[in-house]
Amino acid sequence: MKEKLKAFIFSELIYHEDPASFGDDADLLEAGLDSLGIMRLIMFAEKEFGVTLPDTEIEPDNVNSLDALEKWIRQAGAGQ
Amino acid sequence: MDTASRGGAVKQASPLPFNPADYFTFVLDQEIRNIGLPGGYCGFALELAEQPDLERLQQRLDLLVEYFPIASARIERQGKRYAWVTTSQRIVLERHQCRQGEQAQGIQLAILNRQESLPLTLHWIASGTGGTLLLNWNHPLLDARGVKIVLDFLASDRPESFKESPSLIEAKLAQWSFWKKCCLFFKAKRHNRVVNSMDSCLPTQEEQGPQTLQVKVRHFSEEESRQIAKLAQQHTGLAGRTLYYLGCFMRAVEQVGPPVAKDGYCIPYAFNLRRQNAPTPVFGNHVGCLFARAARDQVRDRQGLFEHLLAQHRQVVREELDLAYLTLMWLGQWLSPARYAKILRKQHSGGELSSLWFSDIGDLSWGKKGFLGTAVTGMSLLCWMTLPPGLALLAGQLNGRLTLSYNYLSPAVDEAWLDVVIAQMDVELLAEA
Repeated sequence: MKEKLKAFIFSELIYHEDPASFGDDADLLEAGLDSLGIMRLIMFAEKEFGVTLPDTEIEPDNVNSLDALEKWIRQAGAGQ
Repeated sequence: MDTASRGGAVKQASPLPFNPADYFTFVLDQEIRNIGLPGGYCGFALELAEQPDLERLQQRLDLLVEYFPIASARIERQGKRYAWVTTSQRIVLERHQCRQGEQAQGIQLAILNRQESLPLTLHWIASGTGGTLLLNWNHPLLDARGVKIVLDFLASDRPESFKESPSLIEAKLAQWSFWKKCCLFFKAKRHNRVVNSMDSCLPTQEEQGPQTLQVKVRHFSEEESRQIAKLAQQHTGLAGRTLYYLGCFMRAVEQVGPPVAKDGYCIPYAFNLRRQNAPTPVFGNHVGCLFARAARDQVRDRQGLFEHLLAQHRQVVREELDLAYLTLMWLGQWLSPARYAKILRKQHSGGELSSLWFSDIGDLSWGKKGFLGTAVTGMSLLCWMTLPPGLALLAGQLNGRLTLSYNYLSPAVDEAWLDVVIAQMDVELLAEA
């Protein structure tokens, strides 16, 4: 899951000289993920992993790293 | 003003055809020129604590034209399409001095209000010990994020690391099969029909007559900016800061009263295909178009409005309508500017689609090094727009401080009315639930 998220983020949303070196716990918001980018990322995740990520849960703690994103998507999947 | 010659030889390059978004902005540039105004020029003003090394800046400008001849190119029609053709012209840094009591903003506006032949000019406006660096550019040349990259090029220790790359829109279109493109095209067409069905409230009834560009800049403190960001997250979630600004603006106008009162508000806004922090592409426009729309009764319910705008945005992204719009832009390249403009601007009723022009350049920072070693203390943004709406709101955040630049055409937009809207906008932005 993280690899797919990472591939989407660094091919579509954020430039990074060496995406492979970007850690799973590194801060995506500091790396430049902006508000419209977050929305595109959420839509990608919903489509790719077949989950619904509620608007009310779009918080920094859920999107600020690949680890956080994966945890949020798995929790959302488990609850549906 | 330094009146040094603009001549000078630089290397030639073959014509560079417009990409779909370049043509989109060119069509709007033509609409602005058609009513006797200078065209789709924009300004990015950086306030600096001290005067930077202007000789070094000139050297970098020369290097910019050497690496990217498009920076001083002219637009030429080639068959049905338009292209940039290099001119060998140098871009000379223009120096201005504020007289005692004179504001740099007055000089900035004089620059924007003059007729310009170059697509990009750079100005140093000295004031006291510091001053303002103004980059003035014609929109078909590049989008606002590209301007940040040009400024980074001008200040970089490694200018050779900046390279051009192909159009991101064309790269995206090339990823899709013929059938996917057709499907997206019809989807976008249907979406456009819906967008054009609600008549838009406008900030002015005027559609022509002599106008000058004016600007009112609202700088928010760090504390206020934090509060706005917090409220934006509370109302539109982490994903909706742009939508928060748009919703607050709709409400401010609705409360003051729109000079042209119709069914609702429609505000186009760009989504950028550039990746954040990417040093390339430098030139060209790489944006698609989205629309924030709300009926007047929706605008009157603050919480309901934000929920509506967020749901609308989610639906657009989920249904790929943002990407679908690129297919319309691609086809638009084959239309004459006048015909394309009609499609872009006119609703079914014949009225103007856009209640406002809007752009959010996002968070900017020049870090501890500043710009060429000089601290950046403020910023503001300028742009021409079509009439109507005659009003553009440009947002940007520098070192955590939000700046809103309200650009308007005078006398088309009533200044007293705008002052009240701006005051109401402050209330809306900072309003607790």
